[in-house]
Amino acid sequence: MAKEKKPKKTRSTTETPEAIAQRIEEMAGNIAKEINSNQDPTFSTQQRGRNNVEFDEDKGLLMLGDKVTSRNFLNIGHAKKFMQTMMVSAKTHNYLKQNKTASIREVYYELKHTLGKSKENTFEDQTESDACIVDLEHSVNTIREKLNLHANPKGTLYGDIILRDRKHNNDEFNAAKLGRGGWSIMSRIEPEEIEIVKVNAEYILVIETEAMYERLVEENFAKKNKAILISTGGQAARGTRRLIQRLHSEGKLPVYIFTDGDPYGWYIYSVVKQGSMALAAHSNFLAVPDAKYIGMTLEDVEDFGLQNVTEKMKDGDVKRAKEMLAYPWFQNKEWQEELKKAIKEKIRIEQQALANKSLSFVADEYLPKKIKKKDFLP
Amino acid sequence: MAEHEGSNAEQIAKEFKEHSVAEFFKKNMQMLGLTGKIKTLTTIVHEYVTNSLDACEEAKILPDIEVQLKELGAEYYEVTVKDNGPGLTKETVGKALGQLLAGTKFHRMMQMRGQQGIGAAGCTMLSQITTGKATEVITGTGKGPALSLEVTIDPKKNQPKIVNLHELKSEFKGTAIKAKFKGVKYVNSEQAPLEYLRRTAIANPHAKITLIEPSKKKIVFNRTVKEIPRKPTEMKPHPKGVNVDEVISLSKYSDTKKVSSFLKSAFDRVGDKAIEQIAKNITFDINIDPKQLTWEESEEIVKQFKKINFIAPRTDGLIPIGEDRIQKSLNGIVKPEFLSVVTRKPTVYSGGFPFQVEVGIAYGGEAGRGNAVNPDGEAERKMEIMRFANRAPLLFDTGGCAITRAVQSIDWKRYGVKDYENAPITIFVNLISVHIPYTSAGKQAISDEDEIMEELRLALMDSGRKAGAYIAGKKKEQERKMKKELFYKYIPETAWAIEAITKQSRKTLEKNLEKLVLEKLKLEDEEDEAQEIKKEIAKTSADTKKKAKENEDYSEEEQEEEEEEEN
Repeated sequence: MAKEKKPKKTRSTTETPEAIAQRIEEMAGNIAKEINSNQDPTFSTQQRGRNNVEFDEDKGLLMLGDKVTSRNFLNIGHAKKFMQTMMVSAKTHNYLKQNKTASIREVYYELKHTLGKSKENTFEDQTESDACIVDLEHSVNTIREKLNLHANPKGTLYGDIILRDRKHNNDEFNAAKLGRGGWSIMSRIEPEEIEIVKVNAEYILVIETEAMYERLVEENFAKKNKAILISTGGQAARGTRRLIQRLHSEGKLPVYIFTDGDPYGWYIYSVVKQGSMALAAHSNFLAVPDAKYIGMTLEDVEDFGLQNVTEKMKDGDVKRAKEMLAYPWFQNKEWQEELKKAIKEKIRIEQQALANKSLSFVADEYLPKKIKKKDFLP
Repeated sequence: MAEHEGSNAEQIAKEFKEHSVAEFFKKNMQMLGLTGKIKTLTTIVHEYVTNSLDACEEAKILPDIEVQLKELGAEYYEVTVKDNGPGLTKETVGKALGQLLAGTKFHRMMQMRGQQGIGAAGCTMLSQITTGKATEVITGTGKGPALSLEVTIDPKKNQPKIVNLHELKSEFKGTAIKAKFKGVKYVNSEQAPLEYLRRTAIANPHAKITLIEPSKKKIVFNRTVKEIPRKPTEMKPHPKGVNVDEVISLSKYSDTKKVSSFLKSAFDRVGDKAIEQIAKNITFDINIDPKQLTWEESEEIVKQFKKINFIAPRTDGLIPIGEDRIQKSLNGIVKPEFLSVVTRKPTVYSGGFPFQVEVGIAYGGEAGRGNAVNPDGEAERKMEIMRFANRAPLLFDTGGCAITRAVQSIDWKRYGVKDYENAPITIFVNLISVHIPYTSAGKQAISDEDEIMEELRLALMDSGRKAGAYIAGKKKEQERKMKKELFYKYIPETAWAIEAITKQSRKTLEKNLEKLVLEKLKLEDEEDEAQEIKKEIAKTSADTKKKAKENEDYSEEEQEEEEEEEN
């Protein structure tokens, strides 16, 4: 990893679809010019993967480095990717022109077909078209939302917050008045689509499991504690992360993250807080470096007497925990202690283990106590 | 009593004599190459065809030989061989077809196709004892009326018996022989007449050979060169290559009066200096009459022969087919994609026998054995070795032959042939010598004399290297084609996408992308070539340096080996 390289360049999120379409035209125009003037057609994109991702200590964010790579049609290893990226560009350009949006899976299916008389497909699976989308995002310096693309939505919102769907009759709704199901978070949460009209809450509670979220809704936790509940349903989707980030930056609300006390839960926390390897290019508007980890912790086990409901960590979990010990954002006293203890005792603790005390224990005792005492991991 | 006893003994002797030739023949069928129904038929064809080729060569005629096989019943065939040779007279017919062991080829130091057992008279005998029928002959010299006759062998006297002799009205030049045999069988295998004739045609490119199979299918091997090969000259035996028995038999025919002059006249490279040295070291007088030489005295002479440093034997009596003619011949019959032929310089084995090796490696086309089938049931060509001794094909005893072993001893992978046994390759090897060292009386395999093995290996490596370069080039070409196809596969969609965005002509984009791909591949080829030239230069200069360092004893073989390693 190059030391002196600082992540830079924040991708614009305010451009019009016409401007983005024009940039795709410029890129394709250059390629056409190269082809018609006897030059190897090429476009550049940011290098993806581990060796072009760095942790920015100042910002507390995982950022994509500035290593650029070029794709040449005449490189035998690039030719197919070149074709695929051109196809995705054409499709996206078409969406922008038609003012349509599509899921990245739809893009895949729209473009998938057999190549000529061969037995080969344009795309063998969705990971191939997804990779092209990431390349295109960089090549025209934008984000996929601006390309009228979105991932499959996942995640739910509940709480006293009024949103307006600007792309759908300007519908205004309060997320505390949609019944127990709350609002299904869309994958495109950009301000020109979803406007945050009013927030009446003191903090955001991000919850790993749907079951815990339902428990807290049933216990009327949001209303009693002036909280906004967001369930991620496992790893947080792009839309959910964008919503958390916007509520934090626009609504000035602190973010508390509540997951199982195990490597998977810790990783959910770290993605929401620092960003992810795959979307490192977008950490600026997806991650919340100020987010705090509320639990579950091994200290909780002692504080709340949960020793008899811990689970054994599997070998894979222990290995994963050991890797996490080395992550730059876990280089603080609290996390080192937590991880080392887990590795040593080989135990993990689930959110729902709190039910061992009583169903309402989490809502009546655990969370209020921890928030009041600011008993968080950084 | 005595008279009676005498008559008894006479009777036995008479009976023995009456049966002797036929009995000897029957008992020794195996030794004479007459084992197996397929092999026997091939041997018969061989005897007639060899006679025809030799006769034509002798008379300086371009041979045109037609072999016809007819199935008359179960394991019962009629063989007809017709040539355009000089024809036979009444006398020569009898000798050629009616008298066993009447050939003129024994005890001659001359490169000959060589009998593989029985000779044409043997065929007459075989026909006679398996079917009771005579061999029919029509022959003419082109001058005067042609003869028609039937010949059998009188087993008592080993003499020809000619019947039904009459003159034909028409003129005819050549000989046609028709004979019937039982206990033989025609199949299409590697040891059958078809393959035998194919190989004979390859080694005798000046001959046109036709086969009409029992199914009436006609297969023609056309003449590919129009010159008749030079006649081999007879060479005196070299002292290093003779044994006691040969010394004695040669001495019996000598006109000389003294052993000293006998040795000088009967053997190659024996001069006054050698005689002087022999005279000094033997226990008898070198001036005695050679006809008086005893076994022991001959032994002394052979012993002295071994000690003296004679000049190597003359090799000009050897007649190779020649690179050019092998090229034409293999190109005409095997029709390979690539062919590399090497005729080595003549050399000597066991100190006394001149020999010469010719190798041709044919790749692709119809090279290789064509009747193999792969696991998917598709026809697949496999490596075949065509062995020849003095142009005569060796079809049997493959495993025991020096030629086969030499082929197996080569590391074909070095020449880019990964699995040589399953490659479409024909390896042609002709060994020429006045004295082919066969492993057995069957004359089907060559024994692995050190010098012969070495020459075979050098020739195989030399032509193998050339073939390897071609095969590597072919592989490159295939890779290039694959690369082109790969790029081309992605062009239409790429052009479509760019057109969709930019509204530029898809057709123009496609055309220009194709042009770009072709130019790129051409550039790669040129780079490869440049790379190879660089390597070649580096290798040559390294070789020169190395050669300068090495002493003169550095054998050619070792050099080859080291060059290989550098590759």
